[in-house]
Amino acid sequence: MKKSLAIIAAASLFAGVNAEDKIVIKGSDTLGAKMVPQLAEAYKAAGNEVTFEIAAEGSSTAFTHLQASPVDIGMSSRNIKDSETEAFTAKGMEIKDWTAAYDMIGVIVNEKSSVEELTTEQIEGIFTGDITDWSEVGGDAGPISVYTRNTSSGTYKSFQEMAMNKRDYGADTQKMAGNTQIADEVSKNANGIGYVGLAYTEADGIKAVEVDGVKLKPKNAKDYAIARSLHYYTVKGKLSDAAAKFLAWSTSDDKAKEIVERVGFIPAD
Amino acid sequence: MSSAENQDSPAPPADGKKVFKRRGFQIFGLGLQDVIQFFFSGNASLAIIILILICFFLAKEAFLFFPDHHKDLKSYRQSGQEFVGFISEEVKAHTDLYSTANIAYYAEVNRTSGKEDTILRTYRTVLANVENRSAKTWNRLERELDALEDVVDDLEDHDAEDEEDRAEIAKLTKEKNRLEALTQPLRDKLRKEVNTIIEWEETWDLGVGADLPAEEDIAKIREAVLFEAYPDAEDEHPFIEEMKSVSKEKKAVVAEELAEFKETTKAMQAAIRPLKDLERELKKPADENKKEITSFSTAPQRRDAWLKGAEATDDPDEKARMRAKAEEVVIEEPDYEKINQVFYDSIAKHATLAAPLEVEMKNLYEQLPAPTEVETKSAKENLKRAAVFYERFQDRMVSNRKQIKEWRHDASISVPESVSAFLFGRDWTTNSSWHDFYGLLPLFTGSLLISLIALTVAVPFSIAAAVYVNQLASFREQSMVKPAIEFIGAIPSVVLGFFGILVFGEALRNLSQLEWLQWFPGFPMAERLTILNAGLLLAFMAVPTIFTLTEDALNNVPQAFTENSLAMGATKLQTVFRVVVPTSLSGIIAAVLLGFGRIIGETMVVLLVAGNKIKIPDFTEGLGVIAQPAHTMTGIIAQELGEVDSGSLHWRALFMVGMVLFVISLLVNFTAQKVLKKFQRI
Repeated sequence: MKKSLAIIAAASLFAGVNAEDKIVIKGSDTLGAKMVPQLAEAYKAAGNEVTFEIAAEGSSTAFTHLQASPVDIGMSSRNIKDSETEAFTAKGMEIKDWTAAYDMIGVIVNEKSSVEELTTEQIEGIFTGDITDWSEVGGDAGPISVYTRNTSSGTYKSFQEMAMNKRDYGADTQKMAGNTQIADEVSKNANGIGYVGLAYTEADGIKAVEVDGVKLKPKNAKDYAIARSLHYYTVKGKLSDAAAKFLAWSTSDDKAKEIVERVGFIPAD
Repeated sequence: MSSAENQDSPAPPADGKKVFKRRGFQIFGLGLQDVIQFFFSGNASLAIIILILICFFLAKEAFLFFPDHHKDLKSYRQSGQEFVGFISEEVKAHTDLYSTANIAYYAEVNRTSGKEDTILRTYRTVLANVENRSAKTWNRLERELDALEDVVDDLEDHDAEDEEDRAEIAKLTKEKNRLEALTQPLRDKLRKEVNTIIEWEETWDLGVGADLPAEEDIAKIREAVLFEAYPDAEDEHPFIEEMKSVSKEKKAVVAEELAEFKETTKAMQAAIRPLKDLERELKKPADENKKEITSFSTAPQRRDAWLKGAEATDDPDEKARMRAKAEEVVIEEPDYEKINQVFYDSIAKHATLAAPLEVEMKNLYEQLPAPTEVETKSAKENLKRAAVFYERFQDRMVSNRKQIKEWRHDASISVPESVSAFLFGRDWTTNSSWHDFYGLLPLFTGSLLISLIALTVAVPFSIAAAVYVNQLASFREQSMVKPAIEFIGAIPSVVLGFFGILVFGEALRNLSQLEWLQWFPGFPMAERLTILNAGLLLAFMAVPTIFTLTEDALNNVPQAFTENSLAMGATKLQTVFRVVVPTSLSGIIAAVLLGFGRIIGETMVVLLVAGNKIKIPDFTEGLGVIAQPAHTMTGIIAQELGEVDSGSLHWRALFMVGMVLFVISLLVNFTAQKVLKKFQRI
């Protein structure tokens, strides 16, 4: 399991960093693998003297960590669930939601596949296990191998809501730990299909299919069927000044927007 | 020593001083020796106490699962989700049948365009590989071309008449020329690279055993790939376009021929629609009922949460607001009879839909061509499978009609029922938008299958190695082989797991494509992450355990046995196989059992390599089942424990899985100890 754990801790010990200047960010793999670490680097490069600790292990972990450990910012690729809000209330905490960016989920197939386009209905059929062979959706015959994220992932849930009519994943799907693993398996399996965030569709050996005739491109975000917003979550009153400053910077600064775009998301405005 | 010398030994000193006196470190009247002894015995008992505490904690959390699970199953029934589930099962049984027939149809439609499809497939594969291999140049050229396009666009925006623009135009033109000059060599380079790559068929990576196009077509494919080797090439090569249209035409001709077949599958798809609509219609109230029931059961908790929140805050306004919120929480049990009425009402409707569906499906099934009437292998196989699915569909309709008729939302669930729903449940579905199921069977079978493969491979190798090293090898060999095997145990399992993903999986799949290995069950394999892959890696990990313990067992055979045997004139080999190995057999069995314990508890490798498919492997494929992916008990704990709220049902379910693992390990160790005891008596 590659729980991509990116810990960035490069601070000048001589500057005498105190505890408040450390920003701890945990949660979604979609956000935490590339975007947030790069934002953090740029933020430091812009002359802010802080250290970051970033761990990306799935959106659900954002909420468990926000409750229990000293985490400033939780990253999530899905909306908070009612049961999670309740858990915060029980601890006398209130949660605040920030839009970090917008993301499109690309449905990817092997580069050698003859399939170029799928409808949302076909995607639902494939991921729920109703459609099991490529010939049923107009490709060369071959049993479909479906790769999905594992259940702690926000992408797992949002894909279910946006592309599968909230139906359950088929029993034949294989649960992978992260975007890269899915891209890897699909690139190695001519009959593979999976989904990854926009940022990961450039990987070798895979291609993103058109969904309902719309190409996976940032400018099509409005028409593309499988797009969602990404979130930062913070606990009211518990947010340190340094973290608040970073959040404000990362959602408004031009440089930050450029980074968000570079890693393949669409900046929130 | 003689007795005379003894008498010469010094007599006790006359002043009564002891010869030996306590000296040095003392604490609480204890000497150093005693302290060390207490330190070790203290550590041992601490370890035992901690172990007992762990067991207690594990057992408590695990067994709390059952009451919660029972409640959850009850809410599944009370909300009417179970009722909808029956209909979903029918729909699923139909989908399986329809899907197989559909696959058979498409396989048959493609039968004649084999040649063109092979060409197109080869073309796609070669093009993809060429793009991969020359990706650097390709990307660079693409970047330059993009930049060039931008400049050209910019140029168009400027007006040559305008005074101010002129300088800008000159600058842009210069840039344009520079980029053009830059792209030309890049184009040449790319072309050259592509040329070299397609020169060698070995680099085409078509997959072992793939059909190859005819020689003259290969030449044309080369040409087409070279033609396409421009990022800005707009049209496809005429040859490819021709092949595409020929393939399309041929398919159209066959499709005409198979029109009846197509009609049948279409009618099959249409036949289920009314039932599907009913399912969708009923899902909504079931979902709402579920929410209502959950809301009822969590209401006291929510109220407590607001009250607790009010306690925690210092702000009086906030306090009042939270108190008010707590007051707002309604605790009122839903009227189950009323909320389930919609399901009782739909029983009649279901009956009116199900009966004609069965009749229609019977007709349609009989209209499907027989396996002997189709040409392609895939169509034949799928039609045979369709026969199986049709039978299942019939059975499902009969049994579910009965269940639907007899369904009561308030039927009680017995304890054995809820326990067996966990132990023998066939679904493990979590984080679902509908209902979570916790069935152990898919995970258990996965763990067991992987362990069995690992043992089958590891046992012969490690026992043979142990016998050889212990009995037959020279000292030099011993001193080399033993540390080498024991070193395997030092490899971290995560490293082995990565090796399995990055190297071994791919190698295994390539191997499975080889012509002369096709007798092996499950070959050729489609997946890289499979039961076989995980089993083989675990076998590797189990070797040191089994080897070392077997060697110990062999060492424990009294030297006299061997000597006697040799003295009786037996050869070395006879002695080994008739005396030494049988004598140590119980020790060897214990070694195998402990090896099994080692394997079934291993987490990292299976999580990375087994493919994580939560489904009972399909045993209809016989031994070929090993080429499928699976999930394991250890893997699911590692994968899901991080995400769940502590104390939730899901959390407890994972603890229960841990408990099952614990019990298995305990049994294995217990048996191993028993077997060993028997051995010690010899």
